[in-house]
Amino acid sequence: MDRNNLIKWLKEPKKMGNKYSLWAVYFSTACGVIEVPPVLTSRWDAERFGVIPVATPRQANLFLITGYVTTKTLKAIIRTYEQMAEPKYTIGFGSCPINGGMYWDSYNTIKHLDKFIPVDGWIAGCMPRPEAIFIGVTKLWGMIDKGLATGYIRYREHYDYYRGNQERLFGSMEWPPLYSLKEGTHDE
Amino acid sequence: MKFAEFIVSPILAFIIGVFLMGLSRRIMARIHRRYGPPLMQPVIDMIKLFSQKTISHGPIFDAGVILSLAGTIVLVLFIPFGGMCPLRTSGGLLVILYIMLFAPLGLALSGGEGANPNISIGISRKFILSLGYEVPFILIMLSVMTYYHTISAVDVVKAQSAFHWAIFSVPLFLPGLAYILIIPAMLGIRPFDLASAPQEISSGPMAEYGGKYLALAEIEHAFAIFITIGLFVDMFLGGSSNVFYFFLKVLVVFVIGLLINAVFPRFRTEQAVKFLWKWPSVMALAGLIIVLAI
Repeated sequence: MDRNNLIKWLKEPKKMGNKYSLWAVYFSTACGVIEVPPVLTSRWDAERFGVIPVATPRQANLFLITGYVTTKTLKAIIRTYEQMAEPKYTIGFGSCPINGGMYWDSYNTIKHLDKFIPVDGWIAGCMPRPEAIFIGVTKLWGMIDKGLATGYIRYREHYDYYRGNQERLFGSMEWPPLYSLKEGTHDE
Repeated sequence: MKFAEFIVSPILAFIIGVFLMGLSRRIMARIHRRYGPPLMQPVIDMIKLFSQKTISHGPIFDAGVILSLAGTIVLVLFIPFGGMCPLRTSGGLLVILYIMLFAPLGLALSGGEGANPNISIGISRKFILSLGYEVPFILIMLSVMTYYHTISAVDVVKAQSAFHWAIFSVPLFLPGLAYILIIPAMLGIRPFDLASAPQEISSGPMAEYGGKYLALAEIEHAFAIFITIGLFVDMFLGGSSNVFYFFLKVLVVFVIGLLINAVFPRFRTEQAVKFLWKWPSVMALAGLIIVLAI
């Protein structure tokens, strides 16, 4: 941890600020969220690394997708993700967002989350222990340092791909596109 | 010298406010038996918030935040501390009473533009709460001004020099106690954090703030902590002509408020108003009557 490295703070304050002040949006998609309260409260105390929960997506820059994602939840996830302020980071938590997990043949859960929103990293397991969240956050620090946590940039550059997948799943979208789309590749 | 005060006093107030914000998170963590974030965590948060890409909801949304911050910074210029009080000749405590409403008004203006139902609920709660604490606050101010026969904050501090602190004088003891009781309501911390309840109405007035707007709101909060407690120190604990002693007095009062914040749950709106109009108001009124009778 290089939080007290003053030279680094002066060199790249933006990167360091984003590293040590990750505010997670308090949004529980499924069972995985049972591991989050112990992380945030007295037992594991994530606040000592600057990770705190916030109640609204506008203030957040870290999004933990905790557990399986149903089609209905995915709508809320996309809307929440699009409202967050850039730079923003997403972590898929548990096996289910990675490849469906135990819901691999379910009719109303999505199997690959990264087809619909960009994901910066995964924490595998069913359930992952709270310690795994810390390891995940540490890995995310390293990625921010090296400039690899670029999910939000990928979302902007390949918005046609993500929006296309979203439209194919939902049939019709209830909200306008976040970025401009190329002509002819979409319905309407 | 006179002009330098206009710059030095807001900067000092900001540093003290930010330090108290960091310390509050640390002390809260220790009460929860956690380790807690570093003291610089509010500064780290502000650096991050200023570096984020921000979404505006319109010109009034921007102007409201700036109005609220500007009102608070102007208020600092009326608070005498460490021998400084840049606007000492302009109305004193009476003006402070009026300008104190700027911050919630600015937030209400900008919240209205945000058009989020949670903001509307938060704003209405905030105004009901300020209706609750303004009544005892005005009574407290009146008793202090009547007792010292002046509206100037500097003269109030001067009258208390050489340890004639107002809170230990018989007539002003009850108003001082009432001020301690309304400090959590004025700061919007528990048990009076109903306006910005994250669990109920997703941060209320702050619901649509992100990035720079939230950073400005945090700065405003740092100033508000300094003003609310600094005013108490000036009126009841004798102020100080030394910045360090003034800071120590502010620190003691702030930690007392923090201990209350750490252990109490949240009031409902009507419970908060009931409490504020009962105990602090009655105490302040009794104090005012005693002051008038002497």
